[in-house]
Amino acid sequence: MDSYQKLLLANKAWVQDRLTAKPDYFEKSALGQQPDFMWIGCSDSRVPAEEVVGAEPGELFVHRNVANLVVHTDLNMLSVLQYAVEVLKIKHVIVCGHYNCGGVKNAMSHQDLGLITKWLRHIKDVYRLNRRELETIENEQTRWDRLVELNVAEQVQNLAQTSIVQKAWHADHRPTVHGWVYDIRTGYIKEIACIRPGAKLDDIYMFDLGSKE
Amino acid sequence: MTTKPIDDLQSSFQNLLRYDGPAGLVVFLVALPLCLGIALASGAPLFSGIIAGIVGGVVVAAASGSEVSVSGPAAGLAVIVALAIQSLGSYKVFLLAVVLAGLMQMLMGLLRLGVIGDYVPNSVIKGMLAGIGLVIILKQIPHALGRDKDFEGDLAFLEGRENTLTDIVEAVLSASPGAILITAVSLAILLGWDTVAARAGQFAKQIPASLLVVAAGIGINNLLGTLAPGWQLREAEHMVTLPVASSASGFFEQFMLPDFGAIANPKVWTVALTVAIVASIESLLSLEAADRIDPFKRISSPNRELLAQGLGNLTSGMIGGMPITSVVVRTSANVYAGARTRVSAMLHGVLLFVAVMAIPAYLNFTPLACLAAILIVVGYKLTKFSLYSHMYGLGWSQFVPFIVTVLAIVFTDLLTGVLIGLALGMFYVMQQNHHEGITVVHQDEHYLMRFNKDATFLNKSELRTKLRKIPAGSHLIIDGIKALYIDRDIVEAVEDFKLMAPYKNITVEVDNLE
Repeated sequence: MDSYQKLLLANKAWVQDRLTAKPDYFEKSALGQQPDFMWIGCSDSRVPAEEVVGAEPGELFVHRNVANLVVHTDLNMLSVLQYAVEVLKIKHVIVCGHYNCGGVKNAMSHQDLGLITKWLRHIKDVYRLNRRELETIENEQTRWDRLVELNVAEQVQNLAQTSIVQKAWHADHRPTVHGWVYDIRTGYIKEIACIRPGAKLDDIYMFDLGSKE
Repeated sequence: MTTKPIDDLQSSFQNLLRYDGPAGLVVFLVALPLCLGIALASGAPLFSGIIAGIVGGVVVAAASGSEVSVSGPAAGLAVIVALAIQSLGSYKVFLLAVVLAGLMQMLMGLLRLGVIGDYVPNSVIKGMLAGIGLVIILKQIPHALGRDKDFEGDLAFLEGRENTLTDIVEAVLSASPGAILITAVSLAILLGWDTVAARAGQFAKQIPASLLVVAAGIGINNLLGTLAPGWQLREAEHMVTLPVASSASGFFEQFMLPDFGAIANPKVWTVALTVAIVASIESLLSLEAADRIDPFKRISSPNRELLAQGLGNLTSGMIGGMPITSVVVRTSANVYAGARTRVSAMLHGVLLFVAVMAIPAYLNFTPLACLAAILIVVGYKLTKFSLYSHMYGLGWSQFVPFIVTVLAIVFTDLLTGVLIGLALGMFYVMQQNHHEGITVVHQDEHYLMRFNKDATFLNKSELRTKLRKIPAGSHLIIDGIKALYIDRDIVEAVEDFKLMAPYKNITVEVDNLE
């Protein structure tokens, strides 16, 4: 049997289990979604969004890319964010990185893996901005861990700097933006950063949205 | 007044006046005839029942894991105690067994064996409470009608040659007008007092209805003596009958020490173990019940309760008292009389002591009929009709163990009833677990068999049936990733299948098993 066939079988078993627990599960599910959370995570196969936070289908609106980056020219990510914030009216955006992230590791090195290395250029910028702190760390694993955390903190800033988030803060006082790191060695999530609606940002990134009526 | 709820649950002087004091008084009045009745039924000296009541109040309540549970001599032990006294040949030797039983219970508490109470399903506990409520009502109806043949506190269906139902029939046929009058007035006070008191003002609200009932019972019966002597309840069997000592030294002579000389007698140890086990089970069940009816839903420590019960039996045995358990009847009387902390149970113990020492003769004026009215109302609160419809609404898997426990308790006795309910409850748990234990799906000739929960020997027949249905020529994956625990029985059944599979041209792949 080909390994992909196991996935199809597992899908059938999953359907049966769902139906056993709730016979109308799929009918309910087909009616629509109202997630409270948007999740921006890494594509890494070891960090499945729903699984690590015990969420059920319907609870997370998910976007994953390599090294969980928020790049302000990435139309894909921005579309997901705009739809989540303006249409689904989600209350929290979570950027969740993870230790032992291969993307971060590559960005710390001088190795060129092709197109992916261009994407990871953004992490090299994070490294440059925090060079003094990072280069005082002798242990390479510790430095890697720290860059993972700094990368998440930077992506949280990037989110708050988008006009999408700022407009929603202004009009609706949401969403809260969170930065988390999943520890792949223990399974626990560590909170790194949290920006509440209306927080002061670096002035140059603040948009003029007029006074709220 | 806006005090934090937590403040209301401290053993304070305010609580003593407002809640625990009146409740303690009511429990004392209810407990008094129970102590005597159970001592009588156990073939022990009457006074030993009172000692057990005092120790259950003062010692056990102080150390108990629960704030509202009340302990004392238990009807459930009466048969065991009666047989034990006979076989040991002397009450003082039996007292030694009580002391040893107490030590064993303390050991059980230290070994943390109290958790067994947690394994009793909800439906059975509720059935136990409702069953006891029903038994209280049925057993008290004869007393309410003036037929006091059966001893107070009996919870078993069979009463010598009679049973609960024949006793009621006899009671109706021979109903005494005096008892009916007292019961009727008592019930009227119990049901109507809250409404009347609400209008009568602050002072009236402080008077518990049960206390009025006792006062009214004594008053009416004495009035009948002058107005209608034919109606008056006069014989001792209709009244509370405390042993009246003629002098102070006579009073203290009723306490006695165990006969330590019998320590080497193996029979003493057998009795001690039996008493320790049965008393512990009764106490833990009663503790579960106490937590259930506690309006503040406090959760008691069962291990601490075992220690407290052990200490109680140790003390009671040392001074001549019967064995003790926590008792649902007294506990529910305590809760429904408004008790908030252990102070009420302790007060009931102190009152028992003071009463038998100082005023035994006066208490003997109390007709059993008015106490019957109090207990009938307590019984009704445990077995309200709405409880039955609520349990019915939860479906068969809840209702069947519930109603079977109720009926079993009414027609046998407390322990047997709970055991029957437990067996049935267990059956339902097994059956439900068994239902969806194994998922089988297939795509063409590819089959996936997955264990969903703990796979135990209970799933074995389901596993075999499902394995048999896998057609020849299939490829089967057996996956245990979702099961937290897989029994050796299951693993062996799978291994047997692997040996046999080639003959049906089935290839088997086993993942995540063991």
